[in-house]
Amino acid sequence: MQKTQRIILYVLLLITGAAWILLSAETTTTSESTAPQVGFLAPDFTLNTMDGQVYTLSKLRGNAVLINLWATWCPPCRAEMPAIEKVYQEYKDQGFIVLAVNAANQDDIAAVTPFLDQYSLTFPVVLDVSGDASAKYQLQSLPSSYFIDRQGIIREVIIGGPMSETLLRTRVEQILK
Amino acid sequence: MLTLFRSLFAPPRHMILLVAAAWIGLTLSEKRADRHGIGKDDLNNLTFYGLLAYIVGGRAVYILENLPAFTRKPLDIFAINPDLFDAFGGLAIALLVAFIFGQRRGLLLWPTLDALTPFFATLAVGLGLSHLAAGTAFGKQTDLPWGIELWNAPRHPTQIYETLASLLTLILLWFKKPGQRPGILFLTFAVITAAWQIFIQAFRGDSTLIAGGFRQEQVIAWVALAVSFAIMEMRFTVTKAT
Repeated sequence: MQKTQRIILYVLLLITGAAWILLSAETTTTSESTAPQVGFLAPDFTLNTMDGQVYTLSKLRGNAVLINLWATWCPPCRAEMPAIEKVYQEYKDQGFIVLAVNAANQDDIAAVTPFLDQYSLTFPVVLDVSGDASAKYQLQSLPSSYFIDRQGIIREVIIGGPMSETLLRTRVEQILK
Repeated sequence: MLTLFRSLFAPPRHMILLVAAAWIGLTLSEKRADRHGIGKDDLNNLTFYGLLAYIVGGRAVYILENLPAFTRKPLDIFAINPDLFDAFGGLAIALLVAFIFGQRRGLLLWPTLDALTPFFATLAVGLGLSHLAAGTAFGKQTDLPWGIELWNAPRHPTQIYETLASLLTLILLWFKKPGQRPGILFLTFAVITAAWQIFIQAFRGDSTLIAGGFRQEQVIAWVALAVSFAIMEMRFTVTKAT
């Protein structure tokens, strides 16, 4: 192929690319939808704690929230709890809330209270007895953590663990902004 | 089938797909290294140091960016959290280390990039598959019959588009007749990849929108396409002159 032919081809392809970019530009903003994925509104749920207190995720809007799905039998869940508690204590006055969702449909509920005592956990721990919240979050692995900003949008998803204190701090500071 | 694949390679297992792609890609690159005048050992060492620099560099850059957080618990520098990582920082360090290694070993830039092209192309296939497994890089909502159910809506299977485009690119480049001009194979890969990125990004549901509703990723791919054309033309001219 001659140089002139090549240059014509380059220009044609670049013009086609630019035209496609123009044509495919978003003219409307998409409506808010919920999904357990970064950029979406966090799926809502209402669950009870062991002592009957009711927590609805959407009512926590305006706070930065960490949803941590866990179970007592899961070693990485156990390993990351002290770090979560420490970071919760550091940031709770700035509007940070931890909502630890026990996957009670696959856990022994009787083991939850001793677990909370053992780790001296002060953040709310709710029980997903029916498994509805786990289903809404399409739970595949434990632990699974969702960092939600003050507008209720998921900003980070961490599947697996244990999360280190530093990881928690950097992500919490992002969602508190 | 898709559900089985997604549950089999659900995060964090989706990383297996990337590691497998890197391994297959390196094997393919090794097979063709001689054709570009690059020794297999040099290619292996270059990739090894590059990957090592990517991993260490990505963590190091992340630490520098979040120094106050690490100062409070310095041992977390060694925490086994892949999320304590800056991918772009890692890439920059990897390129720097690969460049220094190449200089010391006397490797020529264009033949080396040509030799590594099957590695890059296979890695792109692995990236598409890992996106599919993790449900990231997802598409816009659609009512087309081939839409997939993802994140509570039927969506363009952009991860499948991406995987197929990468696979076709790999096949095309693998069977491409060897040319005389060093660098053209790699630049062809860059041109094709940038072109399909411009096309496929239009169907993505997670694009970063800039002024006028344009997708940032498409604009970057367009610039990459223009730059690749310019360098390709320079390679044609230089090679002809020599």
